Formats: sequence, C-alpha cells, structure tokens
Amino acid sequence: MLACLVFGLGITGGAETASPSSTVSLHWLGDTPAAGRATAEVTGLSASALAKLQSFAADSGRWTEVLAVYAESEGTTAAPNDGATLPPMLGRYRIEGSALRFEPAFPLAAGIVYRAVFNPETLQAAGGAAAAPVVAAYQLPAHRSVESTVVSAVYPSADELPENLLKFYLHFSAPMSRGHIYQHIHLLDGAGQEVELPFLELDQELWDPAMTRLTLLLDPGRIKRGVRPLEEVGSSLQPGHRYTLMIDHAWADAAGEPLRADYRKSFTVTAAERTPPAPADWRVTAPSAGSRGALVVTFPRPMDRALALRLIRVAAPDGRDLDGAVELGDQERRWAFTPATPWSAGAHALVIATTIEDLAGNNISKAFDVDVFEDVQRSLTSETVPLPFAVK
Amino acid sequence: MKSLTHRLFSAFAVAGLLAVASHAAGLQEGHPDLKSIGPLAFGPDGVLFAADTNSAAIFAIATNDTAAGADVKRIAVDGINQKIAALLGTAPDQILINDMVVHPVSHAAYLAISRGRGPDAAPVLMRVTTAGKLEVVSLDQVKFAKAALPDAPSDKPVPAGGRGSNPRQESITDIAYVDGRVIVAGLANEEFSSTLRAVPYPFQTVGGGTTVEIYHGSHGRFETRAPVRTFVSFKVGQESRVLAAYTCTPLVEFAVNELTPGAKVRGRTIAELGNRNRPIDMIVYQKAGKSYLLLANSARGVMKISADNPGAPTNDSIQAPVQDTQNKDMTVETIADWKGIEHLDRLDNSYALVVAKTDSGALNLEARALP
Repeated sequence: MLACLVFGLGITGGAETASPSSTVSLHWLGDTPAAGRATAEVTGLSASALAKLQSFAADSGRWTEVLAVYAESEGTTAAPNDGATLPPMLGRYRIEGSALRFEPAFPLAAGIVYRAVFNPETLQAAGGAAAAPVVAAYQLPAHRSVESTVVSAVYPSADELPENLLKFYLHFSAPMSRGHIYQHIHLLDGAGQEVELPFLELDQELWDPAMTRLTLLLDPGRIKRGVRPLEEVGSSLQPGHRYTLMIDHAWADAAGEPLRADYRKSFTVTAAERTPPAPADWRVTAPSAGSRGALVVTFPRPMDRALALRLIRVAAPDGRDLDGAVELGDQERRWAFTPATPWSAGAHALVIATTIEDLAGNNISKAFDVDVFEDVQRSLTSETVPLPFAVK
Repeated sequence: MKSLTHRLFSAFAVAGLLAVASHAAGLQEGHPDLKSIGPLAFGPDGVLFAADTNSAAIFAIATNDTAAGADVKRIAVDGINQKIAALLGTAPDQILINDMVVHPVSHAAYLAISRGRGPDAAPVLMRVTTAGKLEVVSLDQVKFAKAALPDAPSDKPVPAGGRGSNPRQESITDIAYVDGRVIVAGLANEEFSSTLRAVPYPFQTVGGGTTVEIYHGSHGRFETRAPVRTFVSFKVGQESRVLAAYTCTPLVEFAVNELTPGAKVRGRTIAELGNRNRPIDMIVYQKAGKSYLLLANSARGVMKISADNPGAPTNDSIQAPVQDTQNKDMTVETIADWKGIEHLDRLDNSYALVVAKTDSGALNLEARALP
C-alpha cells in the first residue's frame, strides 16, 4: 500500500516520482502506518546499477550515498549532500529483485517529515549524463490533536498538610512524558509568588511503570532539622500559610499533547509532624463473622496513600493472608478492606510493614529525622508489626 | 558514575587489565534485553555496566572496544541531541541523554539514550569515537550478563486482593565498579529509602541492600534515608572508598568493604557544599601531583575541590559537626566558565569530557582541559 506521499523538488501528484530517466522511481511503502512502519523503495534499477549496489554490500557507509532518509522536524533542517549537517536516519538496506529498499531502524514518529533522497548519479557509469537527485517525503497521519489528558488526582488529598510534608503523588489520566518535568511543577505562596526550589529535582524522575503517576519529593534538605539548606533558606512550607501546588498545562503527555488545563491544589500548612505513627492508636472496626462487611481502620493522621494501600495485610486465624479489596478514603485516614470470601470467626490481625509512612515520611521504625542513637528504644527488629482484632 | 579506581592510579590499571580473561568468561553471547537505559559505568576489559531501572537490573556488556583512542581533545559533537535525533529518526525534543561515560582505553564516549519520553521510549546505547563518529552500539549479538536486583517489582498483577496497583519501583541513581563489585545506588518511588548495593562481578547473586547511615556533619544527626545523587570511587592506601554526593549536597565517604548485605555502614561527612544545589556528576583526577575532585552542580556550576587525599576527613570522629562550609583541608573553587554541564566524565589525565547546554539550548559534547 502506498500511503501519504508528499513529493519534493516541485514534483507533485501521482503515486510515484519519476527520475529524469523515467525508468527509476522512488516511493514509500507504508504497510503498517499505525505502527510507524514504512519502507523507502527505489525501483527500476538497471542491471549495471544493481551490480554496483551489490558491490557496496560490505561497506554499509556507501549505501547512504545512493539513498538516504532524513528525519526533519520543526526546528531542524537536514540538508542532504552536506556532511556538516544532520546525518541520515539509520536503517537496513537490501536489494530485492530490481529494487533497493531502506527499512528504518526505528518506528517512524508522528510529526516528522521523512525525506528520502535518491542520488542516481552515484550509480551511473562514468561519463553518463548528469541526473538530479530524486526526493520522496513521507509523513505519518497526524495523531489525535486533542488535549485530553488531565491531572486526575493529587495525594495527599487533605487540604491541611504538615510543614514537613515529604511527597506528593501526581496521578494523570494517561501516560505522560519524562524529561525536564520540573519546569511544569510550581509551588505558589499565598501571594501567588513561586517558592524557590521546593522539590527534589531528580534526573531519574520517580514514575510508575505506566507513567501515569509521578512521585514528587519535597527537598529533604529543607525538611530535615539541622541540615544546612533548612538553616540557610528555611522550610519551603511555613505553618499557618496557604500554598498552591500548580501543574502547568504545557506539560506534554506521552503522545506529545499538552494537558487539557492547569491543575491547582491549594492547602494550608499545619505544624510539623515529627513522631512515628503508632498502630496502637489506630481504631479498628471489625466486621461480623459470616458477612463480607468491610474491616475499617481509622488512622488519627493521614497516611501515605501508596504505602497504606500496599503495606497493610490482613492475616486470617491460621496466619494466611486474606484476599480482598482495599480502599482508602477520608483524606487517607480511613482504610477499608472488603474480603473476597465471608469472614470466619476468630483472632485475625492486621500485619503492618514498619516502612509504612505518614505524610512527613515518619515510619513505624523511625521518625523522619530522628537520631538513631538517641532513640534506639524505638527501633524495631521485626519488619512488620501485628495489630490483632477479633471477628465474632 | 565516573572515575574508576584503575584510572586514578596506573598500578591499578595494570591490575584491572590482568583480570581480563576471568571477567570476559562470565559473559554469554546474545541480546541484552534492556527495557530502559540509565546510569553507566565502565569495569575491567571494556565491560560496560548499564543500569536498567524498568527491569530493575544491571547489565554487563562487552564493548569489544579495545584499541587505544587517538587525540582525545578533538572529541567534539556540536548539537549532539539533534544529531542523535536525526540518526534515530525522531525530533530532538524526543531524545534524552541519561548518562555519558568515557571508555577507559579507547576514550570513546558512551551515551545512554532514551528515544522517546513516554513509557514506550526505546533505550539506545550510542558512542562517539575519538574520530568524532557518532554511532549506535549494536546489542544484537554481544557478550553480556545480567544481574537482577532483589525486591524488584513484579510485572504481574499484584496478588492478595489487588491492593497496591502501582508496584514499588526503585530508580537507579548511579552505578560504579570498584574492586570486583558494582555499586548501585537506588531510590524507591514510594518509601523514602535509599539503598546502596555492592554486587560482586562477575555476577552471581545480588546481595540485599546495605543501609547506609550518613552522619550529617552540620546537624549532629545520622541521616538514614538520604538519596545518593552521584558518587566516585578512590583509594586510600589499599582500601577502596566511595565518595558520594547526597541530595542536600554533603559529600560523604565510606569504605567499600563495609558494604555487605544487611550491614549498617557508617559514612563520614567530609564537606557540605551548600544549598540550592543539585550534584550531577563527579570525577577525581590528579594534576601536578595533587588530587582534585570536580563536581558538576545544577546551581553552582562546576566546583573544583582540592585535597591531596579526598578521603581523609578532618574529623577522625564524626561526633562533631562540621562548622564551616567545607572541610578545613579542602579548598573549593567554582569554575565560572563551565556552565550548563549536564554530564561529566574524565577523558584522560589532562581532559574531561562534558555534555554542556548552550545558551541557545543545544547540547554539545566536548573535551575540556581539566582545570
């Protein structure tokens, strides 16, 4: 199938571009445009031209003198026949019958013009008439140009957050793009002024595998007491003040489209939370035996959403983990577990990994910035702590 | 990860080369199936270590790049991101240069490239030869080995009630090869935890992460969960040490042989470099008989830190906070004309190789004389 042909050098229309000799033509075969697969093909080559091409087999560098494909995008101009500018795209050359084919090494991308340039002169016998290069361009059908991706949620969801808040989770409705993301994330104070460098700007951005969730750490150097950055420039968040986390819509999703709109989350800052969370303070509401009612655990302070969903298990009387669905609500203060099968009577337990954190990164083992030598009595040897409850 | 021990001291370079046969023996021919490519480091015999965060694995790849390089100072590729984009058939803004390291023998620059910026981005290993040729390093039939890191997230749906739909992932922030071990720094994307692992090479099994406790000289506390941004290895006598730059820019050193599974290692803060700063890359080099550390930062340009022995803390004990911005035996000089450095490695005894962003936004690969 011939697809989306655009011709250069003033030659337009038709499915093929004829070379000056009218026997050789250059065109694109877009067999699976959706997958970005297309092949540039030169057909009608003479026996002598083919023989010359065959002699190139061991010297792959020479193929590009005959046929080269240049990827051109906004802001770049590739000038063929000029070694000082951008190189041609990598790919595989092969001869099939009387045709020379170029298969790009990578899937073609939307928004790029792929310009194939065939230089007949390279294959001509010495003394032949001069022949101009033949050009055929290919462009994938434009993908959707709809700005449909949005910030679907930001956690913590509470509108009061501690001064030593450690992280946000940004959830998106579709996969996003990485690289240079911090220019799109802003923390604004009550006057709308940008707070300087509040986040830990990691080159290795902390995405989930689907790239629909970003973990955004606030700079620990401005949270941890006694650390020089905190002493010199102070905390990013001041208690009693109001702030807005702003995600600017220019951030491109994985398809290259900007977000549909800016996203704002405003919150008021409360006093720092510097003590480890204590499961003993959690309120457990046990369901009835024989029912499939939810087991509900209420935390006195909001917990880190991802960790609360992942690090609390429910152990049956025989010690096995129960299957079920977990939900987190009430601004990450209410954890509810609905079992896959009805509850049996007996002694159950929540099994909580000690690495579970509150919003300030305090975990059960340790407060976020505690000195381990001053506080050894809090250190725990087991990696989980049980919180027993009875089902009657 | 940049400078390698055997590049610092010629005696160790010889030792590294003698170990060639045994290191190559552990590699199998085939196709290393990288899902992503991040931090790079060279090991013995031109073996390249590549960190793959998406697979939670470290690959060791034979480069067969053993001819000594020519005139290194000529290495220069202007607009390297545009040229990479052209070769890979995409737009320059779809190219991310994740790391750059210099081959210790050929002096070719190896680049970890993402083609694309979304979840389907293709990892590509590229190199620039000392002749200035930019090429893709084919991974079709190469000798390689893979070490999977423990506690890696599963590709499968999470069992037990479907909770935790986003499995824990750990980003690998830097890797280094020191004395038969690949040191891997990782940062989890949920728990605030940073681990350093020492993986024996040739690969066998990967040890459990070693929790590194860092004493913050200026605040009189131990920091147990501080992400490592970049690190460099060096020797003090016969002991290999690692000097690590942390997120809030203290420089901390610890002994490599203390990195054993389950151990609590105590690092020593030897300098604090100030706030609003993001350490990017470090190299160690010697000039006129003295040792220097060159640290590229986001905010403060490039810092040249002078210390005959960068591993010797002024405080024998770490019980007392560092009073000044830097260690008394160290002088810190900001190299004003090294701006926009995004990647830095040592090229030879006289030159560094950098990827620098120009005012126009282009990225240039270039050799620069060591300051």
